[in-house]
Amino acid sequence: MGLIFLRTTIIFIALLAVMRLMGKRQIGEMQPFEFVITLLIAELACIPMADISIPLLYGITSIVTIFFLHQLLLFLDLKCKPFKAIVGGKPSVVINKNGIDISQLKKNHLDLSDLIESMRSAGFFSLDDVAYALYESSGQFAAMPREDSKKENKVSLPVVIVDDGKYNEQNLSLTKTGRPYFEQILRDQKVRSVRNVFVLTVDGTGKIYMQCRGEHYRSFRVQLPEESAW
Amino acid sequence: MVKTFLSIFISLALLLAAALFEHFYISNTFETFDIALNALEDKVREEIASREDAEAVRTLWEADKRNLHAVIPHNDISQIDYWLGETVSCIETRTYPDALSRLEVLQSICRQIPMTYKITFENIF
Repeated sequence: MGLIFLRTTIIFIALLAVMRLMGKRQIGEMQPFEFVITLLIAELACIPMADISIPLLYGITSIVTIFFLHQLLLFLDLKCKPFKAIVGGKPSVVINKNGIDISQLKKNHLDLSDLIESMRSAGFFSLDDVAYALYESSGQFAAMPREDSKKENKVSLPVVIVDDGKYNEQNLSLTKTGRPYFEQILRDQKVRSVRNVFVLTVDGTGKIYMQCRGEHYRSFRVQLPEESAW
Repeated sequence: MVKTFLSIFISLALLLAAALFEHFYISNTFETFDIALNALEDKVREEIASREDAEAVRTLWEADKRNLHAVIPHNDISQIDYWLGETVSCIETRTYPDALSRLEVLQSICRQIPMTYKITFENIF
């Protein structure tokens, strides 16, 4: 039993460390240690149940060990704040007053499409609509709307034209524009190359949201080609 | 808070008690069984061992086996059952050299099993 206790504890700590390193996209609405417990407990219950050569007491010992570790972490969670940050992680602010925080996205192994997907789930369809957005330590997404954002009369879905320095060809054809059209916009905005652009979205009214790497975001309007509509 | 603290204490106490019980129970059981096997080995060497002597060792083993099923894998128990059965049949047919080799296997299993439950580096990893 002592061996099982130690082995279960080692596996638990290893899994917890891996889950923390994997970032928020792997967790999804649970604290990292709760997620690890969910992963382990089903297996621990199943193996001695299905394999009759293993004493049932082995499974029970592992489950009691998991319970002990859970209670211990809960206790430390309440009593020791630095420990809470180490085990549970901290919220990551991915959109702030400067725009998207690329380093925070990378730190949590997220990309632009993950962020846009989370925003859509939270009811925001344009990057411009959000003043602050963050991923909680549980992986849940929360966004604070921009108070000064004007209500558009014409409703149109913003589409991603440049994602992490690359044109999205599918969206270019959807918007019936082309690379030369956006190259000209980039030149007008004094952006040397599309590779410097982290994100560029455009909606049907010609409103562009653009952010270059290491720069504040820009939001401006352009005249879309006449045939362009979606 | 008190409830959490109490549950930590109780679960840790249960785990420690189970670990200590397992350690002493397995060590004692296999020590007793090993002593019985040594006595049987002496008789086999002197070629005076009878089926009754072998059956006495088997009875001792059968008495402990039931409880051992709760703490050690059933495959380990089956292995001892198998080699003990072989030993009994060799003693009954008075093929003492064969009985000696089977007793050697049994003795080494009896020494190995408690070792696999010790908290050592090789057992943990």
